[in-house]
Amino acid sequence: MMTLYPLAAVVGQEELKLGLLLNAVNPAVGGVLVRGEKGTAKSTAVRGMAELLPEIRVAGCRFSCDPDAGGEQCPDCCRGLVAGPPRSRPVRLVNLPLNAAEDRVVGAIDFSRAIRNSTATLQPGLLAEAHRGILYVDEVNLLDDHIVDLILDAAASGRNIVEREGISLCHPARFLLVGTMNPEEGELRPQLLDRFGLCVEVRACTGLDERVTLLLRRDEFDRDPVGFRRRFSSATEELRRRIHRGRRLLPRVRVSAAIRRFIGELCLAAMVAGHRADLVLEQAARALAALEGETEVKTSHVRRVAAMALVHRSREAAPPEPPPPGRERQQEREQHQAGDRQPRDDGRDGGDRADGEAGEGAGSRQEPAAGPETAGGQGKAPRREPPDTGQEEEPGPAAGTEEEQVFAVGPSFRVRKIASGRDRVVRRGSGRRSRSRVLQKQGRSSRSGLHGLAGDIALDATIRAAAVRQAARGGGPGLILRPGDLRYRIRERRIGNLLLFVVDASGSMGARGRMAASKGAVMSLLLDAYQKRDKVALLSFRRDRSWLNLPVTGSVELAGRLLAEMPVGGRTPLSAGLVGAHEQVRNYLVREPDGRPIVIILTDGKANVSLGRDRPVDEMVRIATAMRAEKRARYIVVDTEEEGLVTFGLAGRLAGALAADYFRIQDLRAQQLVDIVRTEQ
Amino acid sequence: MKKKPNFPFVAIVGQERMKLALVLNIINPGLSGVLVRGEKGTAKSTAVRALAEILPRIRVIDRFPFRLDPDTEYAAYRELCALMGRTPEEQGELAVRESRVRVVELPVGATEDRVVGTLDMEQALQKGERRIEPGLLAQAHRGILYVDEVNLLDDHVVDVLLDAAAMGVNTIEREGISFSHPARFTLVGTMNPEEGELRPQLLDRFGLCVTITGIGSIEERVRIMEQRVAFDEDPEGFREKWQEESERLVARIVRAREAYSRVRVERELLYEIGRSCLEMGVDGHRGDIIILKTARTLAAWHGRDTVEPADVREAVDLALPHRLRRQPLMEIPDSVRHLRVKGAAA
Repeated sequence: MMTLYPLAAVVGQEELKLGLLLNAVNPAVGGVLVRGEKGTAKSTAVRGMAELLPEIRVAGCRFSCDPDAGGEQCPDCCRGLVAGPPRSRPVRLVNLPLNAAEDRVVGAIDFSRAIRNSTATLQPGLLAEAHRGILYVDEVNLLDDHIVDLILDAAASGRNIVEREGISLCHPARFLLVGTMNPEEGELRPQLLDRFGLCVEVRACTGLDERVTLLLRRDEFDRDPVGFRRRFSSATEELRRRIHRGRRLLPRVRVSAAIRRFIGELCLAAMVAGHRADLVLEQAARALAALEGETEVKTSHVRRVAAMALVHRSREAAPPEPPPPGRERQQEREQHQAGDRQPRDDGRDGGDRADGEAGEGAGSRQEPAAGPETAGGQGKAPRREPPDTGQEEEPGPAAGTEEEQVFAVGPSFRVRKIASGRDRVVRRGSGRRSRSRVLQKQGRSSRSGLHGLAGDIALDATIRAAAVRQAARGGGPGLILRPGDLRYRIRERRIGNLLLFVVDASGSMGARGRMAASKGAVMSLLLDAYQKRDKVALLSFRRDRSWLNLPVTGSVELAGRLLAEMPVGGRTPLSAGLVGAHEQVRNYLVREPDGRPIVIILTDGKANVSLGRDRPVDEMVRIATAMRAEKRARYIVVDTEEEGLVTFGLAGRLAGALAADYFRIQDLRAQQLVDIVRTEQ
Repeated sequence: MKKKPNFPFVAIVGQERMKLALVLNIINPGLSGVLVRGEKGTAKSTAVRALAEILPRIRVIDRFPFRLDPDTEYAAYRELCALMGRTPEEQGELAVRESRVRVVELPVGATEDRVVGTLDMEQALQKGERRIEPGLLAQAHRGILYVDEVNLLDDHVVDVLLDAAAMGVNTIEREGISFSHPARFTLVGTMNPEEGELRPQLLDRFGLCVTITGIGSIEERVRIMEQRVAFDEDPEGFREKWQEESERLVARIVRAREAYSRVRVERELLYEIGRSCLEMGVDGHRGDIIILKTARTLAAWHGRDTVEPADVREAVDLALPHRLRRQPLMEIPDSVRHLRVKGAAA
C-alpha cells in the first residue's frame, strides 16, 4: 500500500487540520466539507487523519457492530450469525469513487451465492463498510444525484435500508462524512451541504517561508517516504495522544447555560436555517475544549469553531460566486453584487467602462497581465474567428449605419434550474442537465428489460426469469441459466443539452445598461452550462440580419469571450434572429436526432425589421408559431424590457407564440440557499 | 497484422519544448505527465507514439495482467491473486520478465468499462465465478497513458481518470465487486483548444503543459516534408539511419535517470520557486512541487548535479501556464514569461 504523508507534517492549513481533529475527537460533530483550490493537501490531510484514530473493537459480523455496546445491532448480530470473536481493527477510511454504482453503495444481492446455493444474501456495500468509520468523497459536488440521495438518507438516519432484488434488510450505518470539493465545478445541493457538520475553506499558503518549507518536506517525502515518516513519528504520536486524551475527556466536558445562549445568539446573528448549526456548534466547541484538555467550554472555544459551523449555513454565504474572484478584488465585487439587487444601470456610461468591465466579466479580473485573452485585447493574441461568421464589420461602425458599441458584461449570478422534460428516448452522453434514459453503465437503474447494453445485466430480474423455469430444466444444486433469461438494466441519468443563445444586439438594447445586464445573464447561463457540461452556440441579431457568432461547440470559454466582444447597434430584425435560430436547431437535430436543444432568446421583443412584407411584430409571431411545431426543442424567452410607465410586453407575446417559458432577467436567478432550505422544511 | 513502424522520435523536426517535456517525463515519472496544446498536424501524436522506442525497460511480474513490480508490489500481487481466485507464487519464485515501459492509448470514445476494467457478467452468471477483465488503467500502470483530444473525453471517464491519478489506485465498485489495483501512470494528453478547455482538476493533474504551433521557417518546413517522404518510402531504412541517434538519446536518458537523485538545489532557488508561484497567482501547491522536480530533472538532463537559475526559469515556463488562477471561462496563456516580466516591473 502507498505510504501515507503524515498529518503532522502538513504545513499550514490550520483550519483544515482543526476541523479534522474535532471530528476525530467527537464524531457527533458530523463530518467536514473541505472547499478549496486544488493542490492544497485536502486529500492528504483526510487520509492522514484516518490513521490517527484509535482502533475500534468489532463483532465478527458483516457490519462491524460494536460488541460492547448494546442498542442498535445488525441483522447478523440479532440472529447470532457471528462468524468469529470480537477483534480490534483500525478505523476504515472508505473511499467512495465518483463512478460507484448504486448497488455497491447500498449493497446488493450476492449473486454467486444466489446462483450456487439459490439463497438471497446481501453483499454489504460501501455504506456498511463505512459504519463506524469515515466515508470519504473526493469531489463530492460531482457525485451523481441518485448516489447523493442514498448517502443523505443513510447520514440522516444512521441506518441503511436495503430494499432491492428481493432483499429487505436494515443495518446501522453511522459514519463520518468527509468530502472535498472545488467550488468552480458547481455547488453542492443545500441538503447535502447541511449534512456536513463543519465546512472549512482551504487555500494555498501565502507566506514565502511556508511555501518553501512545504516544498522541502514534500520533496523529502517523495525521495524517502519511510524515513520521512520516521522523522515525524514523534509529532504524529503527539497528535494521536491528543486525540486519545480528548476522547476520554469528552464525556466530562460541560456546556453552561450561558454558553448555550451565546451559541444561540451566534446562530441567530448568522441567520442560519434550521437548528443543526446550533447543535453542531455545541459539539464542535466541546470537542475543542476536550482537545485542549479542558472540561468546561468557554466562549473562546465557541468563537474559534463558529466560522466552520456557520459558514455553509448562513445566509451571507448563500450563493458562493461561480467564478472565484481574486482576493484583492473580492470586496469590490461583493459591493457590485449588493448593488445589483435593485435594477441598475451600470452600462450607462457606455464605451468608456466597457473595456475594463468586459475584461473582468470575461474572466480575468485579478490579473492585469492576463490581458491578451480578454475582451478588450486589441489583436495581440491571434484572434481565432469561428468559421463562417462573417465578421467583416469588425472594427468600428460600418456602412454608415448607427454607431456600434461593445458593452460590458454585467455581474453574473447563479441561475435557476433549466432542463428539458423527461421522455422515453435512450441516449448516450455525459453532463448533468436533463434526465434521460441512457445506454451506458452510469446512472440509476430504474428497471430492467429484455434489451439493453451488453454486459449491463440486471441480476435480480435475470434470476427471477430463470427461477420460474427451473423445474422444467431439472433442478440441480444451483440455478440453471439460459441466454434467454438474461435481463438488462434500463438506466437513467442526467446528460447535457445544447444551449442556443439568441441575443438581441440591436441599438435599443444599449440603453440603460440593458445589454450589460443581458450579457451578465448570458454569462451566468454559460457558467451554468460549463458546470453542466452542455454544448453551446451563440447567435445574435442586429441591423438587418442574424449573425452566428459561435457554431455549436463544447467550448464554453470561447462563447464567453465572443459574448464579451459582441457589439450592439442598429435595428431589431427579430424575425431574422428566429429564423437563424431555427436553422441552427434544425441542423443540430439532423445530426443528433435524439438531441434536446434549449433555445434561450434574450430580447425586448421590439422587432422593427421584417424579412418579408408583413409588419415586423406580426411576422415575428407568425414565425414563432411555426417554430413551436418542433417538439424536441424547448424555448425560453428572457424579457429584457425595462419596467416603466409604458411597457409593450412584446417579448411576452413572443413567448406565447413559441409556447416558451417566459422570464425576466431577475427571474433567472436561483433562489437563495436559505430560501430553498426553508421551503423544503 | 504487422504494426506499422513508428516515426523515430529523434527525427522530429523542431517542437523542441514538446520533445523536452516528454523526455523529462521519461526521466522522472514523478512529473505526472504533459499536456500538449496545439493546432492540428503539429506532430503531437507522432511524438507521443514515437516515445515507445526510447522508453526504458522495467521488471514486471510475468503472466499477470497488472504489470506489477516484483520487488515493491508483492503485497498488491497477493491481494489481486486472492480477488481473482488464483494461488499466488512465493516472492522468490515469481516469474519476472523485462518489458519496455508502455504507451497505452485511451481512445476518446472508450467506455468506462474499458477504462477501469470490468467483471465478465455472463461468465459469472453461467458458472458463478468471477473473471475480471483488466482495463486500460491496469495496462497503463507504470507506463504512459496517452489521450488524444483529451478535451473531448467523456465526463465520467474524466472522473475515473482523476480518481486514479489522485490515488495511484484504480477502484471498481460495481456489480457486487469491489476491486482495486495500483494504477500509477504518466498522463500525456493532446488537445486543440478550439474544441474547448479541460476541467481545472484534470488540467492540474498534468505536470507540464506546452503549447505548440506550426513551424514558421521555410527551411524547417521543407525538412519536415523531406523527412516524412523519406520515412513513408522506406520506413525501415529511415529508422536505421536514425538508429544511432536514438541510442544516444536513450543512453542520455538513462544517465539522467541515475543522476536525478544526486541533483542538489540551493535554498535561494527554492525561494525563487515560491516567489514565482505567489506572484503569478497559482492555485494550491502542486505548482511549486512540480517546478522543483522539473528543475531538478532538467539539471540531470543537462548532466549537472546542481540546479541553476536557468533550470528554474525553464521549469516555471513548463509547469505554470495551465496553473495560473483563472475563472472557468478563461483561456490558458501560451507562455508565462511575459507575466513574470510584468510582475518584476510592478
